[in-house]
Amino acid sequence: MAQAWLLSGILAEALLRRAPLARLWPQAVALLLLAPVCFALSVGARDTAERAAQRLADSLRGRVLRGAQALGPYRLRAEASGDLITQLVEGIDAVQAYFARYLPQALGAVLIPALLLLFVFPADWLSGLILLLTAPLIPLFMTFVGQAAEHASERRYAQLRRLGAAFIEALGGLVTLRLLGAADRFAQHLDEQSEAYRTLTMQVLRIAFLSALVLEFFAMVSIAMVAVLIGFRLLWGELPLRAGLFVLLLAPQLYLPLRALGALRHTRMDALAAAQRLAALAELAPVARPRAARVAMAEAPQIAIDRVCYAHRGRTAALRDCSIVLHARRVTALVGATGAGKSTLLSLLLCFAAPDSGCIRVDGVDLTRLDAQQWRARVAWVPQRAHVFEGSVRDNLLLAAPQADAAALERAAERSGLAPVLARLPRGWATPLGEHGLGLSGGELQRLALARALLRERATVWLLDEPTAHLDAPSTRAVESLIHGVAASRTVLLVAHRLSAARSADWVVVMSGGRILEQGPPSELARAPGAYAALLQAEQS
Amino acid sequence: MSASQAAPPEPAIRQADPAGARNGSGGAAARAPVRRLLAVLDLHRGWMAGGAALAFLAAFAAIGLMAVSGWFIAAMALAGAAGAAINYYTPAAAIRACAIARSGGRYGERVVTHEATLRALAGLRAWLFRRLIPLAPARLAALRSGELFARLRADIDALEHFYLAVLVPAAVALLSVLMALVVCVLVLPAAAPVLLLGVMIGAVLLPLWTRRRAQRDAAQSVTEAGMLRGLLLDALRGHEDLLAWGGVAAHTARIDALAERLGGRRSRIERLRAVGGGLAGALAQLTLLAILIIAVPAVRGGALPPAELAMLSLLTLALFEVLGPLPEALAQWHATLGAAARVFELADTPPPFLEPRTSVPLPAAPAIVFEDVRLRYAEDARWALDGIDLTLPAGARLAVVGASGAGKSSLLAALLKLYPVQTGRVLFGGEPLAALQGDVLRRQIAVIAQHTTLFNLSLRDNLLLAAPEAGTDRIERAVRLAQLEPFVASLPQGYATVLGEAGVLVSGGEARRIAIARALLQEAPVLVLDEPTEGLDARTVGELYAALSAAARGRTMLLITHRLSGLAQLVDEVAVMDAGRLVARLPVDDYLARERDA
Repeated sequence: MAQAWLLSGILAEALLRRAPLARLWPQAVALLLLAPVCFALSVGARDTAERAAQRLADSLRGRVLRGAQALGPYRLRAEASGDLITQLVEGIDAVQAYFARYLPQALGAVLIPALLLLFVFPADWLSGLILLLTAPLIPLFMTFVGQAAEHASERRYAQLRRLGAAFIEALGGLVTLRLLGAADRFAQHLDEQSEAYRTLTMQVLRIAFLSALVLEFFAMVSIAMVAVLIGFRLLWGELPLRAGLFVLLLAPQLYLPLRALGALRHTRMDALAAAQRLAALAELAPVARPRAARVAMAEAPQIAIDRVCYAHRGRTAALRDCSIVLHARRVTALVGATGAGKSTLLSLLLCFAAPDSGCIRVDGVDLTRLDAQQWRARVAWVPQRAHVFEGSVRDNLLLAAPQADAAALERAAERSGLAPVLARLPRGWATPLGEHGLGLSGGELQRLALARALLRERATVWLLDEPTAHLDAPSTRAVESLIHGVAASRTVLLVAHRLSAARSADWVVVMSGGRILEQGPPSELARAPGAYAALLQAEQS
Repeated sequence: MSASQAAPPEPAIRQADPAGARNGSGGAAARAPVRRLLAVLDLHRGWMAGGAALAFLAAFAAIGLMAVSGWFIAAMALAGAAGAAINYYTPAAAIRACAIARSGGRYGERVVTHEATLRALAGLRAWLFRRLIPLAPARLAALRSGELFARLRADIDALEHFYLAVLVPAAVALLSVLMALVVCVLVLPAAAPVLLLGVMIGAVLLPLWTRRRAQRDAAQSVTEAGMLRGLLLDALRGHEDLLAWGGVAAHTARIDALAERLGGRRSRIERLRAVGGGLAGALAQLTLLAILIIAVPAVRGGALPPAELAMLSLLTLALFEVLGPLPEALAQWHATLGAAARVFELADTPPPFLEPRTSVPLPAAPAIVFEDVRLRYAEDARWALDGIDLTLPAGARLAVVGASGAGKSSLLAALLKLYPVQTGRVLFGGEPLAALQGDVLRRQIAVIAQHTTLFNLSLRDNLLLAAPEAGTDRIERAVRLAQLEPFVASLPQGYATVLGEAGVLVSGGEARRIAIARALLQEAPVLVLDEPTEGLDARTVGELYAALSAAARGRTMLLITHRLSGLAQLVDEVAVMDAGRLVARLPVDDYLARERDA
């Protein structure tokens, strides 16, 4: 503004009085000095806004991630991770852009015109009046367009999420698609999704650009009105040139923040669409249950599963009225058809979910009253399919015991049968593992999971889900003897589909359809004409 | 004219000509990403040129508007002071025309340039995905799908910057500068060198400076954004493992640390953009001042009509408004370049096989022959297959057994033309695999793999992936054979139920049966089963084997397993593998007897 005032002064003097350059020096120097001030202020403002938005985005990402984690393993598995990633990356970026650019601009759009008007009025009240009357039309119009725009924007964001999910699953299943000869067809499916996204994006942009156009038009018309009126009053000699030039230089400045706001309009639409989903996730704070009880777990505990029922959301009950006692220093084997509820029971023992009714007691203490983290620290888990994280083999093992030293790693690798696998890998312990442990076969992955469990030497409870799937007979025997060795000082629950593993267990539980059909020592069950004997017969035939 | 100029430019994208794409892939890697990006844009040159033209129209109108207005006001004032008459109709009309052209041009420019960009990027994305298909799994093993996803999504999205923020503004700036210089020379030749100097600093030196200053952060931010995606994907997909092992906090801390580093880089780039923008603004003021210093004496001396001083001043300001975005845009340059390099690097990965243009016809009942086949996954890895000789006549049913890591799965990788063999060859129906297109070959082989991927589609669509033309009858028959009927009945919407990512609602056994139904739908002469019963209990396995033996009737079957029970029901012979070699091949009864004795 000061620049405009000085500049108009120079121009007016030079034009009307053909003033010599010497008389204009003070104003020129002032103009020169103003440039760095102006520069510093604009950089400072943008920098501050950017940093604040960055901090906000970081904390929001953390909260959304925690919220997604608070969904719990089951519901998290039901969310497409491609979609969640889109929200965590693109969604957060959209919100950040809103705070870094749109919000400061919105504030500026209110304050700057008001401030400028204060200076325009004394210079030329008529122009001031025109500007005062037309400026509020712009936000009014923007709210008017807003409704349609936001609707379009929401649809676009939903399509963006669908597209993300489709891409990530296509990439994850590319080999499957090639084997099915369906890769090209799936690529067409992706094309359709991309095309839909492009169309929706253009819809949103068209609305945003159209509102910018109308904005510009308004701005232009009122500036033109101001200019014409100034021009004629200059012609009639009713207005000094300096005031006229000053107002004329300021008039576009008055509309500039509003126009910039219009150009950023889609930033706001994107952020709003993203924020709805993000807010829903961010509010999912972990459910804090009163978990106060502590239990001494230096010794292998006795775990009593007492009339437990559990149903996954929207599906038939996975566990019905199950009662089992897992004795310390014993191997209990859980056998049964797929879908019998074996893995669900393991999940409850890991506190991934709580029973709908009934309860699980560890040395007499209700599991839901124990601190889940402390409890899990005592548990070694061998899942059906361990997740392989980005990082080396060593990093992947250290997940179970971050402080373990090289000797402990070697010991775990030796006992789990991972050592020969390591010897084959090009860079041994430092070999990076790819997605889904590419380069590792199913059996090798299983050894990795076992090594993780072995590395957690303090664990007093072992939960194993099909630890010998993918292993050949000699390796299976080695793993079974390992498990029995481990059981000497621990409580072991073993889910098995092969009876050979169950046969050497101390106690066998046969499950079907979420119920326990029978349980007892394997030798007794084999003699009784029950479900176990039938399974045994099926396997031997 | 030289020969190279006469030759048509080689397009970077040859969707229509896959063979050409392969031929060019070697040399193309060395080509600069900028030229290849230009070639990508060239495919949409109508849109691109239209967008640039509209952008120039808008810029031209904006500069004209300011210049004419300035002149007009000054002339009016002078006329008023002198009490002279003035023709104000012509300049007023010019102002109106410029105003309309500016608004309309800017709207048109925005719509057209964005349309152009989105089209180009969508095309690029589709092209890149299709380039990835033949690379899986042999060439993609080193890249995680989170990383691939980042390249397909974020990197390609980042390329929009190239056209929208660099190419169009640069072209517009160049034309605007030329125009402004012409006006300046006509009005006041003495001011032209000053204007040119200001423009050179603002449009060339300043952008180059921001580009250089931001180079490291911009290039790194692309890589780190990809890493962040990977870590987030780990956090979500590996949540159970993290939870069970108590690693949630540590992993989250890794994410936070990386996000903070990335945020720092972005903040620095943003700051540099702000500095670039601010300097451009300050430069505009300085140039104006310099021009005034030259022009004011000229006015006084009568060399310059006073009204044209106002025009020149406002012209300078308007010109710098057009140049202003360039220093900001070029701070992002290396991020764009990095993204482009990552995209083209991935696209240029040579596929493991050079597919023949046409495939020879195959017999209805093909035999499979391995001749001294050796295969390894890396130069320094041990041989996964170490001299395999194996003949499987049409209709034969063979089980391959052996310790884990003996090479059973590699046998399939070689047969399915997923990995190239280093020596020897595989014959299918008497033809070496090199003479067969991979897709044609794989259509003849139905695979039930160790790990089944289920897609976010309905159960029906998941099944139809194998045979899009199959009708309800065929689907139901396959489902019956795979013993999937109770599962279908348990689903809330039957066949229309959407299966979540990686088959979420589906247990391991159910997923396996879906895979079996899918393979049965394919109706291929060869059936390959890779541990089809892993994770299933004995009774289910018995039932499944009965179904499979019915399904395998009349087909060649290759079964990879280490489960011995029920084997006699399914195969006639057993081949034993150890350390990449075939150590024994014998009738199934003999083998089972031998194992029982052992």
